[in-house]
Amino acid sequence: MDNPILHDSHLAPVIDPDYREYLPPTLSRRSGKLLKRALVVSRSVIEAAGTGCPDAILTGTGFGCVENTEAFLEAMTYEGEACLKPTAFMQSTHNTIGSLIAIDTHCHGYNSTYTHKGTSFECAFMDAYMQITRGQATTALVGGYDELTPHYYSMLSRTGYMGPASGCMGGEAAVSMMLCGNTGNRQPLCRVEGIELHYGSTLDGLGDALQRLTEGAGCTLSSIDAVMTGLNGNAANDAAYRSAARVLFPDTHILMYKHIFGEIRTSAGLAVYASATCLSKGRIPSFLSVGGGSAGSEHGGVQRILLYNHCENRAHSLILLSSC
Amino acid sequence: MNELIQELKLEIINVLNLEDVTPADINDDAPLFGDGLGLDSIDALELIVLMEKNYGIKLADPAQGREIFKSIRIMAEYIQSNRTK
Repeated sequence: MDNPILHDSHLAPVIDPDYREYLPPTLSRRSGKLLKRALVVSRSVIEAAGTGCPDAILTGTGFGCVENTEAFLEAMTYEGEACLKPTAFMQSTHNTIGSLIAIDTHCHGYNSTYTHKGTSFECAFMDAYMQITRGQATTALVGGYDELTPHYYSMLSRTGYMGPASGCMGGEAAVSMMLCGNTGNRQPLCRVEGIELHYGSTLDGLGDALQRLTEGAGCTLSSIDAVMTGLNGNAANDAAYRSAARVLFPDTHILMYKHIFGEIRTSAGLAVYASATCLSKGRIPSFLSVGGGSAGSEHGGVQRILLYNHCENRAHSLILLSSC
Repeated sequence: MNELIQELKLEIINVLNLEDVTPADINDDAPLFGDGLGLDSIDALELIVLMEKNYGIKLADPAQGREIFKSIRIMAEYIQSNRTK
């Protein structure tokens, strides 16, 4: 978040490290890229959080392990069912990610995977939040993982979902975070005040959800410093954000992050990462700012950030984060 | 036979994604499983698929694989005697 890479193409792929530095040789050579990314970020988060094995693992993935799915389907299409590759088959399901994290980290507690298009991450996040607030878990590892193969990017470009014609930059996500009920002596990046999911296309319903969220958190809209939106350059996608901003939070500073990370089904996980980093540092860097409210080159003294994400203007999510 | 052994080594490196391994690193007579290349049961499944796909050899009895996959040379000899393509 200190030195973001600005992309001049319509694709922002993950920059992969040498996974052999992090994983045993057999796991490294056998696992698909998305699995390796998920494993490495999850291991890093568990180590950085210092919580040890989490009580729960919640995974959000919109597309699942696309690379392995493609390999499996391609073999089935061109070579028939007799010669299917077992590794690609085993790794082609969406819940492979959460399962592999559990096996690798020896965390064999509650484990669930959510696949709900553009709100997959938020569903996993909400499950973790509920597990903790209801006392079912004290720690939960939450993640959003999606990859974009060249073939899949080409298909999504043709549909106008992303790519040059749509104005939206494609991306990939591998983001993990630890939610803790009791932080103890640890230094958390931020506090989760609440989360609301709303399904519908009217602003009234979204407004009600926003009111429930702020009331639940014991704050008002005016106490929110900024709204992190999923503006991505696609006209239809952005119109819904601009409409919500105009009606529901007209005086609040608007932020965006997808020009840095790109668009993918679970990019909302990166919005949490970006917002939590801002709250931890107490300032919002200028490259995230769109405008509105008290927009400036740097926005300091930030206390609360609202994350608003929608998928096709039907599934909406609101997450409220505050500084600790 | 040597040509088949070289071809087999390249195929195994490719199918099993053996990172940093070249055909020269694989000893023709070294065990594929355990101490040699360190392959495991999932790799054995991949090798069974490779045998059928590339050489038309179907291994119906998994115990057969234990003998055939002992080393690259034994595997190549079996392929040469039983291949249908």
